[in-house]
Amino acid sequence: MLEIGGLSKRFGSVQALDGVTFSVRPGEVFGFVGSNGAGKTTTMRIVLGVLSADAGEVRWQGRPVDADLRRRIGYMPEERGLYPKMKVGDQLRYLAQLHGLTAAEAGAAVEQWTERLGVSARLGDEVQKLSLGNQQRVQLSAALVHDPEVLVLDEPFSGLDPTAVEVMSSVLRDKAGTGVPVIFSSHQLELVERLCDRIGIISAGRMVATGSVEELRARDGRVVLDVEGPPPGWADGLTGVEVIASPGPATRLRLGQGTDDQQVLAAAVAAGPVHEFRRWRPPLTELYRDVVESSAPTAVPA
Amino acid sequence: MSTPLTGRQAIMLVARREFVTQVRSRSFVIGIVFTLVILAATAGVIVFVSSQTEGRTLGVTPDAAALGPVLEQVADQQGVALALDEVDSGTGRAQVGADELDALLSGGTGGYQLLYRDAVDSTLTPVVVAAAQQQALATALADAGVDPASLTAQAQVTPSTVEPVDPERGQQLAVALAGTFLLFMGLQYAAGVASGVVEEKQSRVVELLLATIKPWHLLTGKVLGIGAAGLLTMVILGAVAAGAAAALGLLTLPTAAVGMLVMVLVWYLIGFFLFAAVYAALGSTVSRQEELQSLIAPMVFIVIIPFILTLNLLPNDPRNPILAVLSFVPFLSQTVMPARYALGVAPLWEVALSALIAVVAIFLVVRVAARIYRNSILRTGARVSLLEALRSR
Repeated sequence: MLEIGGLSKRFGSVQALDGVTFSVRPGEVFGFVGSNGAGKTTTMRIVLGVLSADAGEVRWQGRPVDADLRRRIGYMPEERGLYPKMKVGDQLRYLAQLHGLTAAEAGAAVEQWTERLGVSARLGDEVQKLSLGNQQRVQLSAALVHDPEVLVLDEPFSGLDPTAVEVMSSVLRDKAGTGVPVIFSSHQLELVERLCDRIGIISAGRMVATGSVEELRARDGRVVLDVEGPPPGWADGLTGVEVIASPGPATRLRLGQGTDDQQVLAAAVAAGPVHEFRRWRPPLTELYRDVVESSAPTAVPA
Repeated sequence: MSTPLTGRQAIMLVARREFVTQVRSRSFVIGIVFTLVILAATAGVIVFVSSQTEGRTLGVTPDAAALGPVLEQVADQQGVALALDEVDSGTGRAQVGADELDALLSGGTGGYQLLYRDAVDSTLTPVVVAAAQQQALATALADAGVDPASLTAQAQVTPSTVEPVDPERGQQLAVALAGTFLLFMGLQYAAGVASGVVEEKQSRVVELLLATIKPWHLLTGKVLGIGAAGLLTMVILGAVAAGAAAALGLLTLPTAAVGMLVMVLVWYLIGFFLFAAVYAALGSTVSRQEELQSLIAPMVFIVIIPFILTLNLLPNDPRNPILAVLSFVPFLSQTVMPARYALGVAPLWEVALSALIAVVAIFLVVRVAARIYRNSILRTGARVSLLEALRSR
């Protein structure tokens, strides 16, 4: 288990991280979401030891992460982090060797991963000659060539076309399938929802929610229903029911604690023919907005 | 399957990448060829100019021909290579006009005429004047019944020097200047450390590298790799230049040249480490290549100033006191001291002392530079002030 415990980091007058705590289990894909400047990159850089924390620690399998353990983490920094004028193959072999592979092992691993990620034809080209998407694939290869025990990827999906997104997703799932914990950050919440086992939401340097999408949905414990059929305004005045919105022909209701959904159904049937009556499962985008809004009740200080 | 790298393995991997990248780059080969062309052109100009000024051909008309033996004698005394060519007045004039003769001497006792094309030669004129005076004197002495030979015997002057005359001064100067030039070229490689550091920072690849190796290993490997590429350049240039000079018969002091080459390589390493450390520290504080230029401009002056001073002052004044002092100052000594040594004005103990001072400077500079590098290499965005980089942990 990769445990991130109580990380704090201050840059001058800005508290970038304030007690960030979460854990990622082996074989789990963990999505790390939050607005720009919320602390995602800072957290990842501390995990990689590229930045030192003011407080807190990172543990892998019960041991604090030191230089030797870090070597076994696969890392993809935000934006690209490759020598623009170095050839793809030379570059990947070099990085693999810096992680402790022999020249022969490095060669084999480079071949395997560039094949898998669809950039094996570009091994002899300089990185700067590749499209942004292909550079990103090379970047992921760089994170994978040393067969890491942990993957930490900062914005791996930004700027990728749909095909590349599919390839990258399947690689991440496969790595997780071999027992590797995978953390990645992204602003593409639909993708995070589809790909991740668990999600962590960070806001202004604090983790405001962690868990599976289901767990995040269950957080406030109340049921939301979409009812289609009865005329508009049919639910106004029902006790224990709050009308949130009327998207299209349906009415969206939030039920208060302890309100019986069967009574609501009966009221709906009484008001008109009911064509649809179903539990609304908010997508991550909605959950994210709610979580971030409720966690920041006061205005951001100037 | 993967085993942790030792510090030395990490440094070697980084150094090998830097070396291979440098040597494979187009600018490496172009730089060597370009430098060789400049060296050859400079040597060619020197040879041409010296051949131009060496000997003089003086046309002598039949009526002035009697002065011939005296002219040859005086020219010999004054160290002027003089050839006489007996021509009639008309042909002589034409040949002076066509630059085939340097001057034409006509007339006779009581009225010699010396004719030039468009400028009076300050070397040839005194020779002719002295010859005419000597001949007049000899005639007068003979008329007075004095033997000119006994007069000459009484007026004997023998020049000598306190230290033995060094017949190879010209060679030494050429070797000294070639060495100084080589060192100047080699030190340009140190600036490559700055742009290499910025390249890693700008492309963010440094984050990837420092997630697996230590800043100290990355910095050391980079300096060693680029330094080795510079060393290879100098060896190639030095060998080609010395080989060509020997083949053309210009170099008659092979041991002096080899000695200077060794001296140049040692001082290259000293100068390179000193400058590379500073360049690495400066490079680590900026995030983009564009910001680098203004930052390293002062360093370029520190490289150029001793180079210019050495080229201008040393040939005429090897014992120049200013250069003697500068040859002990770190950052300057690597350019000045080897030239002083090649000219034979700095004994080995002075060279060793200056080198020792420079090595102490390297230790101090590297410590400070490594600290700045470590504290600023991962800070992107605005330029990191040097004081801030020194203060933070």
